Amino acid sequence: MSDYVLELKGITKIFPGVKALNNVQFQLKPGEVHALMGENGAGKSTFIKVITGVHKAESGEMYLFGKKVDFKGPRDAQQAGIAAVYQHPTSYPDLTVTENIFMNHEIKKNGIIQWKQMNEEAQGYLDQLDADFRCTMEMGALSVAQQQMVEIAKAISTHAKIVILDEPTAALTANESQKLYKIVDKLRESGVSIIFISHRFEDMYRLASRVTVFRDSQYIGTYDVNGITNSELIKHMVGREISDLFPKPDVKPGEEVIRIEGFSRTGYFKNVNLSVKAGEIVGLTGLVGAGRTEVMESVCGITKPDAGKVYLYGKEITIKNPSDAMNNGIILLPEDRQKTGLILSWGLGRNVTLPIVGKLSKNGFTDEKRERELSRDLLEDVDTKAGSIFVPASALSGGNQQKVVVAKALAQDNMKVIIMDEPTKGVDVGAKAEIYQIMGNLAKEGFAIIMISSEMPEILGMCDRVCVMCNGRITGELSRREATQELILELAMEKGPDKKKQEVVK
Amino acid sequence: MAGKSGRTISATPEKALRKAVLSWEGMLLVLFVVVNIFCKCISPVYTFTNVLREMPKYLTEIFLLFPMAYILLMGEIDISVGSIVCLAATISCIAGNAGVPFIGVLAIGLLTGTVCGMINGLLTVKFRELPTMIITLGTQIVFRGIAEIVLGDGGSISLSNADGFRAIAGKIGPFPYMFFIVLLCAVIFTVIAEKRVFGRGLYAIGSNSRTAFYSGIRVNRMLFTAYTVMGLMAGVSALFLTSATYGANTTTGKGFEMDAIAMAVFGGISTAGGKGKLIGGIISAFIIVCLRVGLGQINMNPQVILIILGALLICAVLLPNIVQSINMRKASKAKA
Repeated sequence: MSDYVLELKGITKIFPGVKALNNVQFQLKPGEVHALMGENGAGKSTFIKVITGVHKAESGEMYLFGKKVDFKGPRDAQQAGIAAVYQHPTSYPDLTVTENIFMNHEIKKNGIIQWKQMNEEAQGYLDQLDADFRCTMEMGALSVAQQQMVEIAKAISTHAKIVILDEPTAALTANESQKLYKIVDKLRESGVSIIFISHRFEDMYRLASRVTVFRDSQYIGTYDVNGITNSELIKHMVGREISDLFPKPDVKPGEEVIRIEGFSRTGYFKNVNLSVKAGEIVGLTGLVGAGRTEVMESVCGITKPDAGKVYLYGKEITIKNPSDAMNNGIILLPEDRQKTGLILSWGLGRNVTLPIVGKLSKNGFTDEKRERELSRDLLEDVDTKAGSIFVPASALSGGNQQKVVVAKALAQDNMKVIIMDEPTKGVDVGAKAEIYQIMGNLAKEGFAIIMISSEMPEILGMCDRVCVMCNGRITGELSRREATQELILELAMEKGPDKKKQEVVK
Repeated sequence: MAGKSGRTISATPEKALRKAVLSWEGMLLVLFVVVNIFCKCISPVYTFTNVLREMPKYLTEIFLLFPMAYILLMGEIDISVGSIVCLAATISCIAGNAGVPFIGVLAIGLLTGTVCGMINGLLTVKFRELPTMIITLGTQIVFRGIAEIVLGDGGSISLSNADGFRAIAGKIGPFPYMFFIVLLCAVIFTVIAEKRVFGRGLYAIGSNSRTAFYSGIRVNRMLFTAYTVMGLMAGVSALFLTSATYGANTTTGKGFEMDAIAMAVFGGISTAGGKGKLIGGIISAFIIVCLRVGLGQINMNPQVILIILGALLICAVLLPNIVQSINMRKASKAKA
């Protein structure tokens, strides 16, 4: 039994009306990185909360270093050496890094906080992690990746023996993820055992030695990472075979649909040119902050570019605001579903028809019956998991919300160009596959598709052509055949986004 | 036409009757009846015709309720309308005294209000990063300041010839003209909010203005329109007010904006935007009018009436919050 640092047996957690965990088990070996995978709603988060003492399980046992433990609250778990780092760091943005690291366990002498010692120790942890920022900086001034580093430093400072990383790479770019991998390696080398939750397969292959899969609140199995193939794993997670995650159709691109020329906006992007043909999927990638979203938002009339022209089927069009873009058939699926894609408090149906209320109206009066029918049909087409069109969008999982956003785009029947900004961000693998399927079908139907993405597999898997941006410029264009992860990364970092950062990475 | 998994999604709306009875608007309707019974009990002269006779004093503010409800639904606010009423009343009185024919006076009053509203709208649209509370606080001071300059040292103006205004204060049977115009506005504004594309936009902007903008809704244009209409209605209010007072002074319209906001909030319209119905605001406006008339008839001190109305408003705002927090607690228990 003491083979494991942490062992859970027969854990069942019941919420009124739902079994969130049904008799699940888990074993963590000393010094291993153990991936925990499953779709959204499989019970991973609940399970983590049971480990960290946030939730109390109805039944089941938990052993820490072979000893049975019974956490009354998160504090108990912390004191027992369990630390959790979440996807969106729960920190105090106005305090310094040091204060964040030592929050709740400040170094005190006679009740007086020892700032000097705390700062020194904090800087020590940061140095261990090769951090490129100082411990006296304000937390809010750091990037998400840097904030995660602080959280990890905090875990080290509490001398945690078990660190739980909950989707740490979801908000990171490719090279930030690389850096995180190195940190995780270091942690493991120092004898810490790690539970790693992620939707990304690359994370798992790079880091984990074993993987445990949950599905529908049940334990499915634990496998050696080396002994399991990608498709087997997906099958375990989704419960059905996904023959091809990237159903890229073989479409021969037709005539040019949209061409943008010389798009510039001071401080954001410069002289961006791009053209997309009918049935073509063009990937726009690069580091976060390279200006990808900003260019496309300018094309769609959300922000005003300083210069730039848009041609649709070779004819110049003027776009002054989003409705101009929509009337011309240029549809944007925004990156942030919750803030700019959906009205979360509204029902799904109204969300879908929001851009076309005017088109469906009769003499300015809304046609609610037609709206209901149309939105239902569209939501069914994209296979949204919801009981009724009146369910508020906030009640849906990330993947299903994204489907609603897709349905909203499809509602605009004059659509010619579809711009998808990070279409699978925070979406689980089953829903991802469905979104790629929809994208493939759209390409088959002859739409011109631009996909902004930081996720290398989908860029490589779905795109006919890849444009890479760096520092507001397009630094290269690769065809499907030429594109490789290395080439794209090279172009994305051309000239170095930030020289300092690069030195640290080396 | 089900998706490939054969899953079907319901598009049948809930049965509306039960929902309507349990809604805030339904409760207000009950409260309206209760208030009337209460007034009838405390005041022997509380009769239908008496209420109608005293109503015009209070009705002028209801004109402001409708556009205020629109602005609140969009998540914005306008606290300058009281000053616009003052300015519009002042300028129409001056025009009247200068011998402008009555129809011209009406036009000038409405135009003054509209221009003020357009100024608010323009500032709101041009400086989206500024809260409208601050913008309209500024114009509140500016508009009233202009009115005070125009009014000069005496601080008031009286109509030398009030014939025209007396005419619009007339009645059909026991009903003052104003009553019908308020009803007409109530219907028009409610239908626009509930049934027109513009109304859907109002709710969209108030619920999430970014998403509304990304979805092609002309947010700025709608804001400008709403503020302009607000100004126009302030002009209407000013004209009817003048028809009752035959003049204007520096305190004309003072506090009207707050009364309009209070009616809307009492009616269930959230100041955070996106929530509430115009009909609720209208019912609550009449509740307040009836209560004022009733309490006024038993010679209650006007200040005490204000305290009662204020207390009622706080209760009205708290009640849905309490209900919601109880529901949330239930839901979080169900989830936790």
